[in-house]
Amino acid sequence: MDAYDEGSNARHGPAGPDPRRDLPGPAPAPGDPEDAPSRRTAPPTPGVPADVPPVPLSPPAPLSPAAGGPGGPPGGTPVADPPPGPRTGVAALSLRYRIGAAVALAVVAVGVCVHLGMTFLHVAPANTVSKKHRETIENWIYPEFEQNWKLFAPNPLQQNIAVQVRAEIRTADGGVRTTGWYDLSAQDGRAIDGNPLPSHTQQNELRRAWDFFVATHDDDNRPVGLRGTLSEAYLRRITVLRLDRADAAGPGGLVERVQVRSRTTNVPPPKWSEEEAQAPTTPVYRTLPWWPVPEDEARGGVG
Amino acid sequence: MNRFPPAVPRAVARVTDSALGPHQSAVIRIGFSLTWLLFLLREYPHRQELYGPDGPWAWDLADQFVGTNGSFTALLWSDGQGWFEAVYALAVLWSLLLLLGWRTRTMSVLFMVGVLTLQNRSVFMGDGGDNVLHLMSVYLVFTRCGRVWSLDARRARRAAAARARGERPRDRVGPVLWGVLGFLLLVATLAGRMDGDRFIPVLLWTVWSAQALWWLVGRRARTGQPRILLDVVANIVHNGALLVIMAEVCLIYATAGWYKVQGSRWQDGTAVHYPLHLEYFSPWPALADLLSASGTLVMLVTYGTVAVQVAFPFTLFNRRIKNVLLVLMMTEHAVIAVVLGLPFFSLAMLAADAVFLPTSFLRRLGTGAARVRDRLRPRGGGPSVPGPRHPDHGAAGTRDDGTAAVKALPAPGGTPPPRT
Repeated sequence: MDAYDEGSNARHGPAGPDPRRDLPGPAPAPGDPEDAPSRRTAPPTPGVPADVPPVPLSPPAPLSPAAGGPGGPPGGTPVADPPPGPRTGVAALSLRYRIGAAVALAVVAVGVCVHLGMTFLHVAPANTVSKKHRETIENWIYPEFEQNWKLFAPNPLQQNIAVQVRAEIRTADGGVRTTGWYDLSAQDGRAIDGNPLPSHTQQNELRRAWDFFVATHDDDNRPVGLRGTLSEAYLRRITVLRLDRADAAGPGGLVERVQVRSRTTNVPPPKWSEEEAQAPTTPVYRTLPWWPVPEDEARGGVG
Repeated sequence: MNRFPPAVPRAVARVTDSALGPHQSAVIRIGFSLTWLLFLLREYPHRQELYGPDGPWAWDLADQFVGTNGSFTALLWSDGQGWFEAVYALAVLWSLLLLLGWRTRTMSVLFMVGVLTLQNRSVFMGDGGDNVLHLMSVYLVFTRCGRVWSLDARRARRAAAARARGERPRDRVGPVLWGVLGFLLLVATLAGRMDGDRFIPVLLWTVWSAQALWWLVGRRARTGQPRILLDVVANIVHNGALLVIMAEVCLIYATAGWYKVQGSRWQDGTAVHYPLHLEYFSPWPALADLLSASGTLVMLVTYGTVAVQVAFPFTLFNRRIKNVLLVLMMTEHAVIAVVLGLPFFSLAMLAADAVFLPTSFLRRLGTGAARVRDRLRPRGGGPSVPGPRHPDHGAAGTRDDGTAAVKALPAPGGTPPPRT
């Protein structure tokens, strides 16, 4: 089973060791593994010759590079075709050039080994070596080689986490009204039902925004670091967008504040298992404080 | 001449004299670019919400976030609508051109730029499929993945045929493309848009310079030696990248498998039941219920999944078992695409799996595809495209078609042996 576990969160942005997983753990502050100054100045394989570079413009037309084989000299003096075809490869090189090839081979071999080693240490559980060289590994991996392959592992997620929102509306006549709870995850679920090609906006957007929020907030829902603040703005904007689509404000109304909560229910164990349904069978709620909505956002600034 | 123990030069010759796995690298090129192309087309109606400047993950949020990690994304160069629409459209175009293998090396770079630009713009929209594409788009840049099943291969064949007729085919598009892209790269660099993490800018400049070097050497060098050296280096880099791609696939399976071994649900044989009942991964609830109706079946699938994932890397040493596992894994991914509603994740994984498909199978696939195409195309009309030809079958099995064609047709203006 290989899809995505705790929710297909492949990448979550660099930041120390997986902010989401170390749940309440403070999110790495703005200045993390980021700008390691002189990182990888040289990519593992310097001097990548082009596979299909511009072909020589002019006459001799040696061999288009796409044709792979560097062939004859560009002089293009017509010479009888050699029976075995153009020689290529190291055997055709003089000693001087062979040394060049050997250097290239060594550099690439080292680059490949280092990259694979770093990647291995990045995906492996924290261990003696990876703890000792944490910074080096992060400098190598982030930001472009980040990866997470704990697909439904060690255990698949066994809870449905629904994100719900309600809003305080300033109505056209100047009054204030509070809406009921909109179950945004249920809306996503309905959009996915019977859909052979679910959109990332239905399957990932809200789910991962909530994961991001949880990973960057403490138990009292206080943001940790810049990421915490960003995740709040992100979550708020998603809810405002969805409320707008549902026309929650009504004619002439304006969303002034929103409140988000999560509703967590356990997926019941299979009928054929002898396991009792885990307590609590009743949903668990996590309710966030009311957030004011900036006016431009409320007036359709999202989307 | 130097004398090593025979195995050493043989191994060295193998990785220096040819770009191994031409069909495998072509099939992953097609697979990954197709996945991304279909994804972009499918999300076209949602593009503003996913990556647009006023989407929920607004431009300034992304700007602050990327400021903390320095990842590469051209979408943050401007918050204009026009820029966004242009980048999205270009990303579509670049995937299509990479799929077709037109100027493959250049397109692989642009494909990577497209993938990284969109994914890094909104990193919280992605899932495992995006992660696979992200990595593979970088690795593909280092490969010679357009040697078969590509417009480049066709162009090379035509150029060789033209040379055989004594013509001197010219390429004007390549230098123009190179010049335009170099100019854009220079502008972006001077404007300080490449000031984040250095890896991608260095990679872009390296490939661009290497193309210039290749061109210059092809034109100016007095002997064939520098060109052969560049070809050898290109082969070495390609083979290294192909090894990294294969190892990456193994790491994916090994990680997925070994972490599962530790999970109680994978141990008690019920794990598969749970994802099937998550709201976000159950597009067909009735089908999910049907699949998890039998405890025995769920247990077998649960254990089978773990066993296959853990075992896969080790089976590479035995061709036959490897192929059996490959079939199992590809089937499972096809099932996941439907049952868990993860079509693009599955497609990306299928493309990654394809790097391990046997050459004989891929050749048959190519021949079959050519036959289908010929049947669809009326005979005799129009310039027919030569079918996906295979590199010659000999020891130099990976030399590409162009070279093979040169061999086949004694060229008057041809290619004297560079060996002197």
